[in-house]
Amino acid sequence: MAEAMAESYNRDSEPTTRTLLRRVLDTADTLTPRRRRSARVRRLSSPTKMNVRRRSHRARSIGRLAHVHTSGNLEEQTPRTLLKNILLTAPESSVMMPESVVKPVPTPQVVQSSRRESSRGSLELQLPELEPPTTLALGLLAPGRRKQRQRLSVFQQGMDQGLPLSQEPRGNGSASSLTSSLNLTFATPLQPQSAQRPGLARRPPTRRAVDVGAFLQDLRDTSLALASPGDSLRTPVATLPTDTVLEDTQPFSQPLIGRSPSVYHSLPCLSHTEAEDAKRAVSHRTQSSGPRLQNHNPGKPTQLLAGKAKKVDALAVSFPNNSSAVSGEDGVEPLQDGVGEEAEERMEESLSVSKVVATTGTQGSVRMEKSKGHREMTEAAEAKEPEGSSGASLELASSTTEFLQARRPQFLEPAPPPSAAVLSSEPLEPLSTRLPPRARTPGPRPRQDPHKTGLSHYVKLFSFYAKMPMEKAALEMVEKCLDKYFQHLCDDLEVFAAHAGRKTVRPEDLELLMRRQGLVNDQVSLHVLVERHLPLEYRQLLIPCAFSGNSVFPAQ
Amino acid sequence: MEEEEEGGGEEQQQFSYRQRLKAAVHYTVGCLCEEVASDRGMPFSKPAIAAVSELTFRQCETFAKDLEMFARHAKRSTINTEDVKLLARRSNSLLKYITEKTEELAQFNTEQKAKKKQKLEEDNTRAVVPAEAAAARKDGP
Repeated sequence: MAEAMAESYNRDSEPTTRTLLRRVLDTADTLTPRRRRSARVRRLSSPTKMNVRRRSHRARSIGRLAHVHTSGNLEEQTPRTLLKNILLTAPESSVMMPESVVKPVPTPQVVQSSRRESSRGSLELQLPELEPPTTLALGLLAPGRRKQRQRLSVFQQGMDQGLPLSQEPRGNGSASSLTSSLNLTFATPLQPQSAQRPGLARRPPTRRAVDVGAFLQDLRDTSLALASPGDSLRTPVATLPTDTVLEDTQPFSQPLIGRSPSVYHSLPCLSHTEAEDAKRAVSHRTQSSGPRLQNHNPGKPTQLLAGKAKKVDALAVSFPNNSSAVSGEDGVEPLQDGVGEEAEERMEESLSVSKVVATTGTQGSVRMEKSKGHREMTEAAEAKEPEGSSGASLELASSTTEFLQARRPQFLEPAPPPSAAVLSSEPLEPLSTRLPPRARTPGPRPRQDPHKTGLSHYVKLFSFYAKMPMEKAALEMVEKCLDKYFQHLCDDLEVFAAHAGRKTVRPEDLELLMRRQGLVNDQVSLHVLVERHLPLEYRQLLIPCAFSGNSVFPAQ
Repeated sequence: MEEEEEGGGEEQQQFSYRQRLKAAVHYTVGCLCEEVASDRGMPFSKPAIAAVSELTFRQCETFAKDLEMFARHAKRSTINTEDVKLLARRSNSLLKYITEKTEELAQFNTEQKAKKKQKLEEDNTRAVVPAEAAAARKDGP
């Protein structure tokens, strides 16, 4: 009686599945035709079962399989017996109540053995027995999942605290991956996401800004909530492994490096590997300037996003970088906002760690140049820009232009000298041409004469083909000569046309002109020159060619 | 063989023709240079005169080709004063001079034409009057 009461008391206080099942088994009246036989068999086997169970509970880890076999050796495999086998082999240890399992097990055994005679598998109750067991089995699975999830969170917290790996996960692939990944990189905001969805780990992360930011926020909250040793462990570590994150874990970082947008994270990667202390020092600066920058760039996001979808990848990679750099700040920075911000922060970093960057050589300067050009593009693309950020950016622009010019003189060599033709478009290098026009402060326009603006292009070509640095006076003289030459040319053409009694200049006039110039003579005809120098499209327009259907184009 | 000789002969003929032409040009240039030298009081050296004559000869060749081109451009087969004016447009003074000359020539031509017409008319009238007189005399008696 006392045992029964104890058992009932235990059952009420600890509603585990095991206890529930036991209750069902005990209360249910088994009404099977095989009752007597099975009762006898059960009676015979019950003591053995009892002994087996006792043994099982004492040494469960070893003899688990043995139980299954021994119980499976029963002649009759009823659902009851199967369920009992399940109960035997089920994991008994739980996070909630590790100790309580032991108690209710031995006590109900006695009761069960006594009751088994009375309650044997009855037909009527077999069905209801089957149903609750199935439902209970399902219920068993659900808490198992919940248990695993709890274990995951607890495990992660434990990892953050520096606890050793526990033996928890049995066949828990996600947790194992989590552990392995966390072993690689201590506390990375990226990894848990991939661990939660292992199937998506290797795809290019298409992240939404809010999720990452919110996650980081939560992570920081939890990390702050942890003990101080854990916290102190995190902050210096957070800055370190970002480069490992960048180097090891991102499979798509290498192909992105070739493209200009990915330049952003490649530069900080280099800077991090070379100077962490400088970066930390810079992080303090960025902290101060960060909120200012953040506030000033509300209008950027959509414009930037519209044009730069690829940057999301780079930013996703560099986001932990950025976040770690501004660890003290409000970490919720939308990705959209981060483009211009990052560029400006990079500029600041580059300014502060100029020595560091000097070691990188031309590579870094190229990237800075490109990123700077990009940033200037974004600046130009913006409709409005508050004064603070614009002032800062202009300062940055001037300082960085000096920096860039100091770094890359050979890069600007083919470009014209600084004062000449600022706004011209050179076909040499599109980025370099973008830089000089933007870098020059918007001073007075050099040429108001509309006639001469077109000649600047030819002047530039002249200076390019000269392959030597040219004086400003020389270039001006060249421009005057070109002007006179073209005027003369056009006068001649007009006169020739008038000489032939026409008012329109035709190719014959041009041929006459070239003949007078000596380009066309008896040995070299105009068609020969056209073939030599003009592209196919123009050649088709000039030289008559026979096409299908007996047609000649252009018509003679 | 004969053709070659002929060809060679022609070439030689042409060459000799050229040389004669060159000599003529050289003589003319020499006369002009002497005139200029006497005007300016600075004599010309022989090589200088030779150089000038060579230049003149080559420039004449160029002019001729250009004139031919201009005439062809205007779809004519005869070189006209218009072509010459086109050629001389570069130097303003020369162009002015040529235009004046052409105008003079044109005037002269028109004058001459007018004179010729008058003469013709006079001849006609004279011819007509005796004819009429002869006709009148026949009718009289």
